[in-house]
Amino acid sequence: MKSYRWAVVLVGLVLGIMLSAQYRVTREIQASEPVQRARELSTQVEKLRADRDDFQDGVDNLRSQLDKVTAGPLVSEIKEALEHARVLAGVSELSGQGVEVTLNDSNVALKPGQNPNLYVLHDEDILRVLNELRAAGAEALSINGQRLLATTEVRCTGPTILLNKNKRLAPPYVITAIGNPDTLESSLKMKGGVAETLQFWGIQVSVKKIPEVIVPAYSGGIRFEYARAGD
Amino acid sequence: MALNRITYFYITIFAVVVGLMLALQFRTASSRDLSVPLDRAQELTIEKKQLEKDVNQLQEEATDLESKLEEAVKSHAGAAGALESELYKIKLYAGLLPVVGPGVEVGLDSTPGAGMRYGDHEGYIIKDEDLLKVLNDLRGAGSEAIAVNGQRILATSEVRLAGNHINVNLTRLSSPYKIIAIGNPGTLKSSLELKGGLVEYLSEQGALVSVETKEQIRVPAYDGPLRLEYARPAQK
Repeated sequence: MKSYRWAVVLVGLVLGIMLSAQYRVTREIQASEPVQRARELSTQVEKLRADRDDFQDGVDNLRSQLDKVTAGPLVSEIKEALEHARVLAGVSELSGQGVEVTLNDSNVALKPGQNPNLYVLHDEDILRVLNELRAAGAEALSINGQRLLATTEVRCTGPTILLNKNKRLAPPYVITAIGNPDTLESSLKMKGGVAETLQFWGIQVSVKKIPEVIVPAYSGGIRFEYARAGD
Repeated sequence: MALNRITYFYITIFAVVVGLMLALQFRTASSRDLSVPLDRAQELTIEKKQLEKDVNQLQEEATDLESKLEEAVKSHAGAAGALESELYKIKLYAGLLPVVGPGVEVGLDSTPGAGMRYGDHEGYIIKDEDLLKVLNDLRGAGSEAIAVNGQRILATSEVRLAGNHINVNLTRLSSPYKIIAIGNPGTLKSSLELKGGLVEYLSEQGALVSVETKEQIRVPAYDGPLRLEYARPAQK
């Protein structure tokens, strides 16, 4: 009878200590600075992203409203020029004939001692593919839904690429281009062309002709901080 | 005997609970070391900054468009005026207007006396890829307008080797190449002159490379034909 009571008391004590210790550790983890900061930051980023999309919709809306309220022979010429300029500036969503190019890292099984870096996609490879498409007369381009502007860079950072300063993309990379589908396809697939050189490293390149591709508008603001209109 | 059995029963349950707690405690303690790596927070901070910039710019754009819209509904003349000024702004972004500002001037030249043949070992000939990389670096460093030998770089500009020349905007350019870019001069210059960067690489190859910051440079407008046969605004 007595030993049974003592056992219960002992177990209860231990349990209590464990509980309080556990509680403290959990609290500490939640309060630990980097975790909390990252968590806070990611909610802020999430919210900002939603804000950005809202404002983007608002701006798109205002643009089409401006187009609607203005009518008449006098402005139709300006409107046409405006539409054209918007295509070049990358601020309107476009559709048309074109190609979809999919690029993915190598599927070659590496032998020990081989440099794995040779078998993954580099920013250079993507630049070259884009350059070929431009040379073949592509009128608008996007990668994984990110519109390419005159100021768009392609940067390799680890296994991902960085575009338009902060848009991080992961493979596979899908490039959509509007233009003559046959010309675009053959510019990549010609003998000694980009597709062939990349395939040497096992990098997978596939080109699909599509009767109607969509190239989205640039999402984000455009503003020049250094450049001003010249004479 | 009956009491004893109850005792054992309780002790068993407590032991199980304590065991569970111990295991849990151990797991939490070991996962503590795996707190978020610093660069993740850093990355989020960068993304946040860029998003804030985007939101600000879009807000400005919206106010600008709102005032134009107000102007446009007032009168017919107002409508034309509002559209004209919108056109001007979009043309500026598209590269259809000349711009001025601070920036850098990058000179790229093949080694003097280099053979005419591509791949000649005597000297180094600037290739399209070299130019592409320089342009990409300048874009990454935030340039707002770029031109190569007077050809404004648009979203659709190609840089392509054709014989001994390089075609940009379907125009033949030849060495020496002069690239001008508007942006923060210091950032642009240092992005090219990084250790192990492009200037070092190209100089080692034997090319003549120079980077100069400029207080005021002029980047010309694109003046080629505007070809749009396939792209049209998407129906929403």
